[in-house]
Amino acid sequence: MTTSGGLLRATRGIAARALLGIGTVWALATLVFLSLRLLPGDPAALVLGDLATEEERAALRRSLHLDEPLAAQYARYLWGIARLDLGASLRHPSQGAFSLTLDAFWPTASFALAAVSIGAVAGVAAGGLSTSRLLGGGRRLVHGVTLALAATPLLGLAPVATYALAVRARALPLPGDPDAGVAGALFASVLLALPLGAQVARATRAALRELGRAQFLTVAKAKGASDARVLLVHALPAVSGPILTVVGTQLGALLGGAIVLERLFERPGLGTVMIQAYAARDLPVLEAGIVASGALFVMTQALFATLHAAVDPRARRA
Amino acid sequence: MRRSLGLAPIAALATLAGLWVAFAGGSPTRLFLERGWAPPGPGLPLGAGEGGVDLAAAVAHGTVRALVLAVTVSALGFVVGAPLGALAGLRGGAFASAVARACDLVQSFPTFLLTLAILTTIHSPSRLHLVVVFSVAAWAPFARMAHAEAKVLGGAAFVDAARALGAGTPRLVLRHVLPNLLGPVAVQAGSSAAAVVLGEAALGFLGLGPRDGVSLGAILEQGVVGMLRAPHVLVVGALSVGLVSGALQLASESLQRDP
Repeated sequence: MTTSGGLLRATRGIAARALLGIGTVWALATLVFLSLRLLPGDPAALVLGDLATEEERAALRRSLHLDEPLAAQYARYLWGIARLDLGASLRHPSQGAFSLTLDAFWPTASFALAAVSIGAVAGVAAGGLSTSRLLGGGRRLVHGVTLALAATPLLGLAPVATYALAVRARALPLPGDPDAGVAGALFASVLLALPLGAQVARATRAALRELGRAQFLTVAKAKGASDARVLLVHALPAVSGPILTVVGTQLGALLGGAIVLERLFERPGLGTVMIQAYAARDLPVLEAGIVASGALFVMTQALFATLHAAVDPRARRA
Repeated sequence: MRRSLGLAPIAALATLAGLWVAFAGGSPTRLFLERGWAPPGPGLPLGAGEGGVDLAAAVAHGTVRALVLAVTVSALGFVVGAPLGALAGLRGGAFASAVARACDLVQSFPTFLLTLAILTTIHSPSRLHLVVVFSVAAWAPFARMAHAEAKVLGGAAFVDAARALGAGTPRLVLRHVLPNLLGPVAVQAGSSAAAVVLGEAALGFLGLGPRDGVSLGAILEQGVVGMLRAPHVLVVGALSVGLVSGALQLASESLQRDP
């Protein structure tokens, strides 16, 4: 294969991935648009409640452009997403829906990225330890803990862990504590990382065991490499592909978990913005929130697909 | 033997919750302000939650409803997904690749966001809304599984024989391919159902659950609110979510291990 052919292929791959990403965000955006307008029930009544007069509803419909034909509304909506401007928030009319949402974007993005990093590193470490001879009998314990964590739902585990560590042991700040700072953020990220870490550990263990007696590992051992060196330098790079695939498939669940944990810890973020907008029927903010979280999902997914392609040539064709 | 052992926990939970709903008579929504956050005691086996709700009744009703939702969604996923996948496996060609692409798309989608996107636009979701929302993505794993299996079965002698005897595609799918799929599909049904239970609880926890507030997630939410006053509510909520989803997952895995 010539260099220019490889470059062309890489460019094509990136273009295909970008298209798929835009398609995902577009599908989510269209879904919110259609369910707001086509499902039975008047959005204006949804916002203003049952007691509003017909004039008030008509005025709101006009200001949200709900009185225009559906195609015109859709065009205006897509154009608004492209310009990051879906109008003002209904609850805070001085602020744009997208600027409210973008303020919440980075807290959630850094939360999710911290959890992905912690989960990937801890999961690979646990998977590696559960197959290597470094720990002796301890590797069974590591494997057992991994299996238990993989079977425990985050939704049940997170509140109980918070109660045990923050309320009983007082080792950590309480949820919603404004002075929670780094310890609180780290605790939340570790909790969010647990299910991902458990899945990564299982995948690492399965891949390492399959690799088991591969010749290049025997050669490395024969050359006098230590167990740790064989694991870190020779075995782990060879199994990075399946591990990154697992991380990629867990990203959607991770984002859902982030929304739940933001609610639990009263942290600012996309989840909090969307739940508040839901409670207040703030339609422009809801639309912006869904689009922004879709974009966050697509970006994290692209990041991991790129990493995957960088370490595993077989993934470049996808 | 092992198979029935794996199915025992979910059968026991479902029976217990069903019997409780039918005969114990406590209301999952009625408030008794004077016994708010009361700890477990006589007459209140699991204690009371916010506003004095009988937690045992709330858990029993929440479990029954979560299981009904999970079974409905898995059944819908099977009814839509399996024939679609089987047809794709037998036909092949452009139809098969279209089905495979659609599965890719749905399965790589952030399902929880999809659920939020639809539910946030509904004033207060009914049980039917929840069924629809979870079914949007539920068919894909069944279709993928049936596709893979039908590709293998498509070349099997008994399918060829049926075809030679003049069986049409619908008959092939219904009489010959689908019955052979039931084993692997039962495994998928278990883990789909567990995912639906967790998804419903997460929605209830976020306040996007059913309008009467009867959901295992809503108990968990009360538990978080009352964490300092009444930790028993948190424990009851977390345990019931964990036990129901765990029992479904266990049932699914025990089916998988048996040949």
